[in-house]
Amino acid sequence: MSKADRIEQALRAAFNPSALSVRDDSERHRGHAGYQEGGESHYHVTLRSMEFEGQSRIARHRAVHKALGAELVASIHALSLDLGT
Amino acid sequence: MSDAKNQIDETIKANDVVLYMKGTKSMPQCGFSSRVAGVLNYMGIDYADVNVLADETIRQGIKDYSDWPTIPQLYVKGEFVGGCDIITEMTLSGELDQLFEENQIAYDKDAAEKIREANA
Repeated sequence: MSKADRIEQALRAAFNPSALSVRDDSERHRGHAGYQEGGESHYHVTLRSMEFEGQSRIARHRAVHKALGAELVASIHALSLDLGT
Repeated sequence: MSDAKNQIDETIKANDVVLYMKGTKSMPQCGFSSRVAGVLNYMGIDYADVNVLADETIRQGIKDYSDWPTIPQLYVKGEFVGGCDIITEMTLSGELDQLFEENQIAYDKDAAEKIREANA
């Protein structure tokens, strides 16, 4: 399973999202710090879920970090999150 | 308490605004750090920059301190505000202006408006 699939699966299970997209931006960062051959280093996630209702921005980001797990988060060089209800 | 935690405590107490980043405010070494430093520079914020690439214990220590896995990290009056995504959102929504106003930190309102106009 690709890393994007793992991210998507973990978020779908945790947040019952009304919208979810996981984009691998690694190629756009070719040659930059953190780029690794084969990609899977840079991701942009858009997630809309009612689970975020009433939560601060920091709390939403923390919930996503937790759902992905420390190991997966540590394996991603750059994770950009667009989170909302 | 670990040395890294002590050191971070001291830094964020001694400075109203602190950015933990990769590189320095005048020479950022990562796009995300560069974006946040760029916003603060443009808004004329007087802030301390800490280059985590220069100190491995701080690089890990700041992640443990805030329980936040990524760099950059912005602190205002000792409180963790967020990373690149959050600061970008707060800049565009005007919440960052509000935060600086509430904490009596001088900033250039016209510059903040220009950022918003350019990204509208």
